[in-house]
Amino acid sequence: MKVATNAARLVRQVLTGEVWPPLADRHAYRVGPDGQPFLLPGMGGVTLDVHCGDPATGYASDHLEPGASIRHRDPGANMALQFLTCVGNQVRVVSGPAAGATGHVIGQHAYVLADFTGPAAAELTTGDAVTVLAAGQGLVLPEHPQVVVKNCDPGLLAAMPGGTRPDGRLEVHVAARVPAEAIGAGAGMASEYANTDLMGAYAGLGADLSLGLEGLRIGDLVALADADHRYGRGYRPDYLTIGVISTGQCMMFGHGPGPSTLMSGPASAFYLVDDGDANLARWLHPQPAQSAQDPAVAP
Amino acid sequence: MTPADSRDHTVPPRLVTVNLLGAVEHPALDGSPYRIDRNGRPYVPTGDGGIVLGLELGDSAFALDADHAAPGACLVHADPAARQALAAYACVGNEVRVRTGEAAGARGVVLGKRGEEGRVVAGFAAADLARMRPGDEVSVRARGQGWRPPGLPPEVAVMNLDPGILPLLPIGLPGPGPGPETGSGTGTAAVAVGVRVTVPSRVAGNGIGRPAAAWDLDLQLPPPGPDGAGDVALGDLVAVSDLDVRYNMGYRRGWITVGIVVHGASPLPGHGPGITPLLTGPAAALRPHPDAAGHAGLTAAALQLQ
Repeated sequence: MKVATNAARLVRQVLTGEVWPPLADRHAYRVGPDGQPFLLPGMGGVTLDVHCGDPATGYASDHLEPGASIRHRDPGANMALQFLTCVGNQVRVVSGPAAGATGHVIGQHAYVLADFTGPAAAELTTGDAVTVLAAGQGLVLPEHPQVVVKNCDPGLLAAMPGGTRPDGRLEVHVAARVPAEAIGAGAGMASEYANTDLMGAYAGLGADLSLGLEGLRIGDLVALADADHRYGRGYRPDYLTIGVISTGQCMMFGHGPGPSTLMSGPASAFYLVDDGDANLARWLHPQPAQSAQDPAVAP
Repeated sequence: MTPADSRDHTVPPRLVTVNLLGAVEHPALDGSPYRIDRNGRPYVPTGDGGIVLGLELGDSAFALDADHAAPGACLVHADPAARQALAAYACVGNEVRVRTGEAAGARGVVLGKRGEEGRVVAGFAAADLARMRPGDEVSVRARGQGWRPPGLPPEVAVMNLDPGILPLLPIGLPGPGPGPETGSGTGTAAVAVGVRVTVPSRVAGNGIGRPAAAWDLDLQLPPPGPDGAGDVALGDLVAVSDLDVRYNMGYRRGWITVGIVVHGASPLPGHGPGITPLLTGPAAALRPHPDAAGHAGLTAAALQLQ
């Protein structure tokens, strides 16, 4: 994205975490939109075979978290990890058979979510330690003072298409536009933590539940209509929020594929380009051998 | 024939009443006194839980510069799981009784509840509330979950409602014969509910995707105009279109949910006046009748809290 930033003034901080297990309770079941009980995997641990660019829905899964789900054991350190980690940050495995493998953060979901190549992910499991090179919070676009950027590695921003247009608006490419009716769980929460579940993407369920979002892919950049995520997450007519789909299929009602927030401001400050290729896979699909040269983590 | 086989399955199960123990909440803040409002300004939250004086049913949800202020005392339990049970089983209209402190013996009524950690909002006569303090023990006579009033169309679900206060609310159930309210051309009888306003599901904020038996749903409504237009009052019934709250709260085209306004506005983005859901069903079977000027929801007079 061709846009002036304060990236040279941002710090890059070394954070640690570990792959966190899936969590359940002895009651096991949750409830779907029509009252159907379900027990489905997807959240926590290491979820294989789903990567950026793959469909977000269509799996027998709930709260599908692609790749590794990461937390820190200390509650305060965990909140720092969750708040300071940004989409596009590099994650390196430092223990276990996958040690040395690198991946990238694709979003937050009360876990930091990191996508690795299939072979690397196959060797990862609960308890493996990782290092996150966190940078991005505090990013400012001086020529777009109405736009607040968050959770975005400066390298990822540089790799994205678009940028400042002659008319002063910020051009952003998005793979899908999301209506305000789709905003589900996550409304009212901080926009530097977890993500915003989108309803209306329950593949295979009733037409009365659909908002036409069944085609979303993991890693898609999306535009949320009438959403103001500058200081949290709320409904505000004529505002716009750009996010990246970091989680997929949900069976739980009021939940669904979720974007992590990247930027937000008045709709008039943006110029959206509908671009089916607007996906993280295009800019930072994990390639361990080349990660040092990856634009998303270059200084 | 076994005894089980001989039961008449057309007879609805009898309700169970459970005495729950709550304690009046003390407001709590984390390390910083500030929260950030929807415009990015820091503010110190007031009225978010505990006892709020001077706020009553019928007051505007925007009457005070406060954060989620509720008309009465918030009840909690020290054990997190017991606190969730308190919120889940308490129903609007349940009688409560103060057991300790200067107001011991005072009677109150559950007006609604709030989600996440779980809070029950109990209303009292102003003189009783003024004698209460955080930590006072309050007994809640919980009943209502699992109830289905006779005549309720099968597609409509009721929740969080004490059977005893149904007559105090503008809820009209279809009678045994042809009533004044009938449904669409299918001949299905519909529930008619008087509400202050029907709002679209896109204003649903905090609470969406959460279980309606234990959470309220914040509505991201703007403050009323200078002439009071668009106002909602504490205790009002409000309808939300395209919202189904039977199994978590979520978007479903063609559905209606009706709730009671239990707390006031909030400066936080994604928050606002909150409703405790009472009824949910397809629009053909659950019909809100908005009356912006004349609506009366749950009142202190009807609850004999004055």
